[in-house]
Amino acid sequence: MLRFIAQRLFAALITIWIATIAVTLLIHLVPGDPVRIMYAGFQTTEAEIEAIRQRLGLDQPVWRQYFMYLGRVLQGDLGHSIVGSQPVLDTLLQRFPATLALTVSALIIAVVVGGTLGFFAAYRRGTVWDFGAMTLAIVGVSMPHFWLGLLLLFLFSMTLGWLPVGGSGWRNLILPALTLGLATGAVIARLTRSAMIDIFDQDFVRTAHAKGLPKTLVLYRHALRSGLVPIVSMLGLQFAYLMGGAIVIENVFAWNGVGRLAIQAVFARDYPLIQGFILFFATVVALVSVIIDVTYALLDPRIRYGT
Amino acid sequence: MSAPAEPLAAEARVAPRRVLWALLRSPSGAVGLAIVLLLIVVALLAPAIAPYDPYRMASGPRLAAPSWDHWMGTDQLGRDVFSRVVYGSRLTLMIGTIAVGISLTAGLLLGLIAGYAGGWPERILMRLVDVVFSFTEIVIALACLAILGVGLINAMIAIGIASIPFYARITHSVVLVEKNKPYFEAAIAAGASHLRLIFLHLLPNVIPTLIVVGTLGVSTAVLAAAGLSFLGLGAQPPQPEWGFMLSSSRDLISRAPWMMIFPGLAIAITVLGFNLLGDGVREVLDPRQRAR
Repeated sequence: MLRFIAQRLFAALITIWIATIAVTLLIHLVPGDPVRIMYAGFQTTEAEIEAIRQRLGLDQPVWRQYFMYLGRVLQGDLGHSIVGSQPVLDTLLQRFPATLALTVSALIIAVVVGGTLGFFAAYRRGTVWDFGAMTLAIVGVSMPHFWLGLLLLFLFSMTLGWLPVGGSGWRNLILPALTLGLATGAVIARLTRSAMIDIFDQDFVRTAHAKGLPKTLVLYRHALRSGLVPIVSMLGLQFAYLMGGAIVIENVFAWNGVGRLAIQAVFARDYPLIQGFILFFATVVALVSVIIDVTYALLDPRIRYGT
Repeated sequence: MSAPAEPLAAEARVAPRRVLWALLRSPSGAVGLAIVLLLIVVALLAPAIAPYDPYRMASGPRLAAPSWDHWMGTDQLGRDVFSRVVYGSRLTLMIGTIAVGISLTAGLLLGLIAGYAGGWPERILMRLVDVVFSFTEIVIALACLAILGVGLINAMIAIGIASIPFYARITHSVVLVEKNKPYFEAAIAAGASHLRLIFLHLLPNVIPTLIVVGTLGVSTAVLAAAGLSFLGLGAQPPQPEWGFMLSSSRDLISRAPWMMIFPGLAIAITVLGFNLLGDGVREVLDPRQRAR
């Protein structure tokens, strides 16, 4: 098991390492002079532009810049943002709890709603219930997240007046979490249904039924338990998508997480902040996928011993 | 990219006309095809269908509710929402085709080459693809936009690039299956050249899977582009792009909900159409799915 964890951690480190290369190259792929683009909105003289270029190390050869960047990243220094010149890491860490609260609550909603829907659709396969649940799921998959957000905002905040429109308290978290959770729940419902159908068709479930075990016992002890394995395995990817979805949803609800920060950074062409965000995002997603892989291995011994 | 597409069986290769018939008989395929055709017709005939010029301000009073004159109401500049939604279909189809075109072509080539080459080039290439894939499409698209700058064309390119890893993975997985089949080994034994093996033997067998994935991919691309435009990173004023129309509706939600409802509905119906069509094509091409 330790070997398995070590392997997953190593893979995560490779991902993060490639991300550091990617963000260094990013600034070099910008057509034109990145310094001038970044400071387009500021009054700067030629001498100042040169000074900034030197401070950012952009006058050095690329490989040298890369090692300088890597060295600073290893010391926890992601540079300073152009707008407001704040330390990038501090800014990201300050905003991250909001994003984490949003994604984790959305994940819980998604798993509960999507899992239940998919499970019962598979259990009642071929019936009206199945058809209804899957119609709901495909409509959910087809709706843009932000539109669902606007609809919920219109319904709960504007029309019914139950929830606030924007802000940072826990009551303000309900709508964004619900939006992101329901949207992801639709995907999870579809995946759960096909995973459970595969399980229901397997011999051990049929044997359990044939032995005359009570239906609910077979359902919960045999089918659901093995159904959890494929479902947990897809949560890693779903979490990455949730983090991605949060970028848009945070902007709908003016929720001050890292996603909102990232969009502002792209608008302002604040390259140190964009670089920091991408590296941060890649790190979080990589570490979460390690956690999910380990959980997966705990559930399914075949994974642990197979590698 | 919600549904994990599995490589289709080789039996998937059936005559196009039979595919069309089977598609029309599967409920999701028929509905999906109808929606997509409707969208194409609306886009082609936009000037004939739209009652007003989508760019003309003060076509009616500002923020007028839906009425006989303005079926979907008017926006804050007095532009006719219905006409803008109709013209928006052109942009949406363009986004879908261009973005999927980019990612499909590049992903297909990468997957074919990696799968055919095998050994360490394959390992390195696919490992890299996996890593980039884990960054998620929205972040790759944001990075591309940070490089290229905002705008609708750049957003299409960004979405196209962002989905390359997805198509590369699928192509690669199909190639791995095909490579071990007798016909392929026979072709190698017959002394076929590398190019011949890749383009005459592997490519035709990858295509059916990629048709399914590409159709589903249009819906993902449309959603992503609408999302970027909603954030203000894609379409710019005064383009009648649906995602962008939604972003200008946000602050007027309580005064003019129609500005928010109709463009969103248009996106959802379009995406639903491509999703159903993709599901339908999969059912038709994959006998294993049909048995269910």
